[in-house]
Amino acid sequence: MVAGILLLAATAFAQLTAEQKQLNIESFEKVWSTIRDKHWEKNPGGLDWQAIHEEYRPKIEQATSTEQARQVMRDMIARLHETHFAIFPGSVYEDVGAEAAAGGNGSPGFDTRVLDGQAIVTSIDAGSSAEKAGVHTGWAVLRAGGKDLTPVIQKLKAVPELHELTLERAVETALSGPQGGELPVTFLDGENHERSMNLRLDPPRGEPSHFGNLPTEYVWFESKKIGNVGYVRFNLFLDLVRVMGRFGKAVTDCKTCDGFIIDLRGNPGGIGGMAMGMAGFLVDKPDQKLGTMYMRGVTLKFVINPRMGAFDGPVAVLVDGCSASTSEIFAGGLQDLGRARIFGTKTAAAALPSEIEKLPNGDGFQYAIANYISEGGKALEGNGVTPDEQVTLTRAALLAGHDPVLDAALQWIKKQRDRK
Amino acid sequence: MTRRFAGILLCGAILTGLALADDALPKAETILDHFVEVTGGKAAYEKHKSEVMTGTVDMSAQNVKGTLTRYSAPPDKTYTVMELDGVGKMEEGAAGGVAWENSPISGPRVKTGEEKAQSLREAVFNGPLNWRQMYTKVETAGVETIDGEDCYKVVLTPADGPPETQYYQKKSGLAVRMVTTTSTPMGDFPVEQDLSDYKSFDGVLMPTKMVEKIGPQQFQITIDSVKVNQDVAADQFNPPADVKALLEKK
Repeated sequence: MVAGILLLAATAFAQLTAEQKQLNIESFEKVWSTIRDKHWEKNPGGLDWQAIHEEYRPKIEQATSTEQARQVMRDMIARLHETHFAIFPGSVYEDVGAEAAAGGNGSPGFDTRVLDGQAIVTSIDAGSSAEKAGVHTGWAVLRAGGKDLTPVIQKLKAVPELHELTLERAVETALSGPQGGELPVTFLDGENHERSMNLRLDPPRGEPSHFGNLPTEYVWFESKKIGNVGYVRFNLFLDLVRVMGRFGKAVTDCKTCDGFIIDLRGNPGGIGGMAMGMAGFLVDKPDQKLGTMYMRGVTLKFVINPRMGAFDGPVAVLVDGCSASTSEIFAGGLQDLGRARIFGTKTAAAALPSEIEKLPNGDGFQYAIANYISEGGKALEGNGVTPDEQVTLTRAALLAGHDPVLDAALQWIKKQRDRK
Repeated sequence: MTRRFAGILLCGAILTGLALADDALPKAETILDHFVEVTGGKAAYEKHKSEVMTGTVDMSAQNVKGTLTRYSAPPDKTYTVMELDGVGKMEEGAAGGVAWENSPISGPRVKTGEEKAQSLREAVFNGPLNWRQMYTKVETAGVETIDGEDCYKVVLTPADGPPETQYYQKKSGLAVRMVTTTSTPMGDFPVEQDLSDYKSFDGVLMPTKMVEKIGPQQFQITIDSVKVNQDVAADQFNPPADVKALLEKK
């Protein structure tokens, strides 16, 4: 009886309608032609891409389930032997928030990172509803908007192709909603007691910034001195005039500082050119570059134009798995040039604008359109930047009000000063 | 991008035109001379003592728009300012053998090498009358069809830098395309620029629509006005203080 049910289930699973079969074929064609047209090499991966089409097209036509069709597409893109080419099941595509834009960008005013499978509060915006409600760094977020976060995190972590940045964005999406609304959130506090509260969703922190086709992004920039060490942190390489101006002022105002810290944790990138521009405030030698980007028919050298009076003291850059794209170009290049010491955890390995599109059959398709080689000769895409000092955030440290990554950078700068 | 914008002025020659035979390849000099003739003639060009050009920039694929103003005066002075949404004010200039640029991204910079040579060529006022200052060799390389029209292909080689290729319609004598390689600190990039919508400004025809492709990027420049022989301030072409500081350092 049980065997009969299983057989029936398997048979039902195997049967695709003619429409589903056609959608899988259309998905295959979209994946194949996207790589043909957008890969940075004319012969992607050094392959005869047309021959690849002839090899896999019959297989997709013979696929008897969407899972089989997905595997055919995965096998095809695996022939590239490159990272950031992936096919996600439709359910994962929905969870990564690719279609969450309609949900709104209201924020309860705190940031999280996934540590040991839980979303842990890592910072709280001043004046936010989270701060007013007494939320503390180190608290774990169990539920948001009635949704258990742990199963979502587990499901996404089970997909090896998804990098940490995508996972964190999925959590961020669960913690956002329409501005002015309220979000019911259940935390696990420092005593491991559940605490439920309704948090008001305010406009995101920062100033709205508009650039080209990008949706409106809220950009914030903070700078301060910690003792005699300069410190800047900003959430995006956007709002070019304001952010470049404030970055330049922060560096030049710190001419006699013992060191300078640039905190790029959680910064997913933005305008690539800003990495070169900012590096110009920290590098005084001409003809230095952060790396080289290779696109179809174009090679871009990320050359640094040294500014007059560039800062010549120790520079530390803080990164984590949500530091991506321009953040990686900046951190990786300065590391390769021996100009900065990097602290934190490995970056997102998403130095390029790898895009995720929805396929006709509902699956997600991720692909990169360029290759970027850092000045040291390493491809950042798929590899990321490995910190010189790997320092991990822990829930215990956050509960105790510490930031071990920042502490390590300050300690290193102090040593440099003492050596003088 | 303003570099190639400036380049549009460099597409002429000095002598008055000769009738061009339909079935023989004319000399490049003849094609360039004919361009001067059909765009107003040497006398009209020589009446221009300064120009202030204003227009718009549109990178439609990226949805980035902006404005530009270019000042130019004899013998080789230019100053261009472009303001792009989300990017800010970008300036570049050339005068007296110095070429520079300044932008919110990279800051002030003095150009050198081929990039400098290219900027200085493009700064030559009334370029169509002065091409011998800019190119050491010009030759006709054939006939190609662009948008259904036969065009002479002319290759112009400067003393410093890669050759440029320009296409002149057989029928009208007007320049319709320029292909070159632009030199920048980020690398050398192939540039293709299509010119159209010629309009007369104080007796000289100039293209008012330029569609430029640099690798995967494409943008359009539309010229709204060219004011000729306006008073241009004497210090208009002086480099800004940041650039002067760099020059003094050198």
